[in-house]
Amino acid sequence: MVMLVNPTSKNTARTVVLGARGFIGGALTRRLEAEGASVLALGSGDIDLAAPEATERLVARLKPGDTVVFCACLTPDRGRDLATMMRNLAMGRNVAEAMVTAAVDYIVYLSSDAVYADDTARIASDTKAEPGTLYGAMHLAREVMLKASVKAPLGILRATLVYGTADTHNSYGPNRFRRMAEKDGKITLSGGGEEMRDHITISDLVEIVLRMLRQKTRGTLLGATGRSASFAEVAQLVATQFTPRAEIVNLPRQNPITHRHFDVTSTLAAFPEIAFTTLGVGIARVHAELLERR
Amino acid sequence: MTMPRIGFAGMTHLGLVSAAGAAEKGFAVVAFDPGPGTAAALARGKFSVLEPELPELVQRNAPRLRFTAELSDLADCDVVYVAPDVPTDDLGQSDLAPLCRLLDSIEGALSDRAVTVILSQVPPAFTRGRWRADRALYYQVETLVFGRAVERTLNPERFIIGCADPAAPLPAAYGDYLARYGCPVLPMRFESAELAKISINMCLVASVSVANMMAELCERIGADWAEIMPSLRLDRRIGAYAYLSPGLGIAGGNLERDIATVFRLAERSGSDVGTAHAWVANSRHRRRWPLRLLHETVLSRDANAAIAVLGLAYKEDTASTKNSPALALLADLSPFAVRVYDPAVAASPEWHPNLAQAPSALAACEGVQAVAIMTPWREFRDIDPRALARRMAGNTVLDPYRMLDAAGCRAAGLEYATLGVT
Repeated sequence: MVMLVNPTSKNTARTVVLGARGFIGGALTRRLEAEGASVLALGSGDIDLAAPEATERLVARLKPGDTVVFCACLTPDRGRDLATMMRNLAMGRNVAEAMVTAAVDYIVYLSSDAVYADDTARIASDTKAEPGTLYGAMHLAREVMLKASVKAPLGILRATLVYGTADTHNSYGPNRFRRMAEKDGKITLSGGGEEMRDHITISDLVEIVLRMLRQKTRGTLLGATGRSASFAEVAQLVATQFTPRAEIVNLPRQNPITHRHFDVTSTLAAFPEIAFTTLGVGIARVHAELLERR
Repeated sequence: MTMPRIGFAGMTHLGLVSAAGAAEKGFAVVAFDPGPGTAAALARGKFSVLEPELPELVQRNAPRLRFTAELSDLADCDVVYVAPDVPTDDLGQSDLAPLCRLLDSIEGALSDRAVTVILSQVPPAFTRGRWRADRALYYQVETLVFGRAVERTLNPERFIIGCADPAAPLPAAYGDYLARYGCPVLPMRFESAELAKISINMCLVASVSVANMMAELCERIGADWAEIMPSLRLDRRIGAYAYLSPGLGIAGGNLERDIATVFRLAERSGSDVGTAHAWVANSRHRRRWPLRLLHETVLSRDANAAIAVLGLAYKEDTASTKNSPALALLADLSPFAVRVYDPAVAASPEWHPNLAQAPSALAACEGVQAVAIMTPWREFRDIDPRALARRMAGNTVLDPYRMLDAAGCRAAGLEYATLGVT
């Protein structure tokens, strides 16, 4: 259930981005700065949010009336073990405690679709969270920590597979496929790449966050486009960016086929004018941006 | 045999249609309503409810139909039906206070031999709670359908009668009255009758939920639910009158109330009602069909788009907007200019910040990028697709109830979308 605290759009005084050196936090920071918004970008180099003194140090940097976007997280490529989970939970605890002390105005928590059961084929905003991984359980625990302790309005954005030029995570999908094609001239797929997934561009995800910030959207939103494509289709789209076209190689399947579709109607209801980049356009754009950087 | 005199207390949609129906069957009817001016207005032929054929029915039976605001006029009635509205809140909870007040007030006015029949829908256990050994009290299930109420009241499929003791014969006057309709009479205990009404509605919700679920699948895989429907109707296990037309979720308030009652009963008793939760989730999902389609075709492309919404009532031939999908759509379109038209409902500025009400369907479509026909009013069938195309600035037409001719719309250059087909 999504509720608008402030239905008329307006920019908030200052936005504090936690995890500002990461893929999502970095893109959000650049976008806010490009808009001329007041931003305090904090990365792990500024404050180690998992450290015992993090709460105190964060409170010292916050001002009353700040909006906080909490993107800081050790993603699964940095570790899938208990130690990583506990560090993430320590960050969650420290940030939640800092939010209680500092009189912040609004908080966005960047969560993940890992909070849903792995075999959930259709996810809507009212689908029950049922994490099957430590990473998913960690995000859900952080959501609950913030809900339980923070009085300011809280918006939660559960993001699915995000892709973009600056992505470093190299998870199975457009970014890894592009790297494979560039390096070896071929993309290897598990089985026929039948699994359907929703891929959202980093710029579209940032657009959702910006709207949440403007309207102080409370409740849980899905960071997805509502359109899923198979990994085979993604691989085809990536392969055609290259000359000669990258080869697609199908390896024996290791895992059973699961699909994931998102019903993003509640996002559309909250922001009916929002537009999502199609997969073909998004993949071509990432490719062009990377060529330009050379 | 003297024909029993029948009273009706509460000139609601249900009360008025039932009273007029009883008069049509040849009974002398006292139609009582305590509301200031209500009975007098009805006597002058002024109706506050919209129901096809009702004015003619009342007029034709005027000699047998006495409207009154005097409680004492019920004194010589043999059977008195009590039929006030039972309002529901947003959670589907019934407010039974008006019904209890009316029951209390008529009690002293009736003769000792009079039979009181509760016709308003009540939750299980209500009637038993009102029953006393020295008064004849029954609960009769109503199956009013707005827009088809006259036909249904004159030709009911059956009477479902809740009794304190179903083995005891019905009082003669009540039995004679029911017999006049020539349909089966099913006496049962109070609780069964109360739950029978809810069971009927759960079957209707189940059918329409199947239709809505399968219609979406049709839209995704290239099938057409309109082609499939007749094959279901010819199946004896499903039936010609089954609720199979896809729609925009459950609306109107009555079905929602009964689902809420089922949830409450199950919470208390520990029954499994997961199926009903799934109906509600599917209903919410299908209600947003117009938003998803409008987003895809217009809203995500044109931030200055204007949208026409034709129909505000939750269904045709009523002015009720309870849980109306049209109002849900208006709430979702707040950043866009909206023009509305409804033959019976006046638009309220609370529904949308930038709302204009037009005097006709075509006038509402002037200069808009998209049109959504949200209520299947008959007059919308007469909209000429070419005239519509000329009026509109864009060409998106959402017609969930298939009021327009799809081929005609496409020939006129309109992008036409309906439920149950791609």
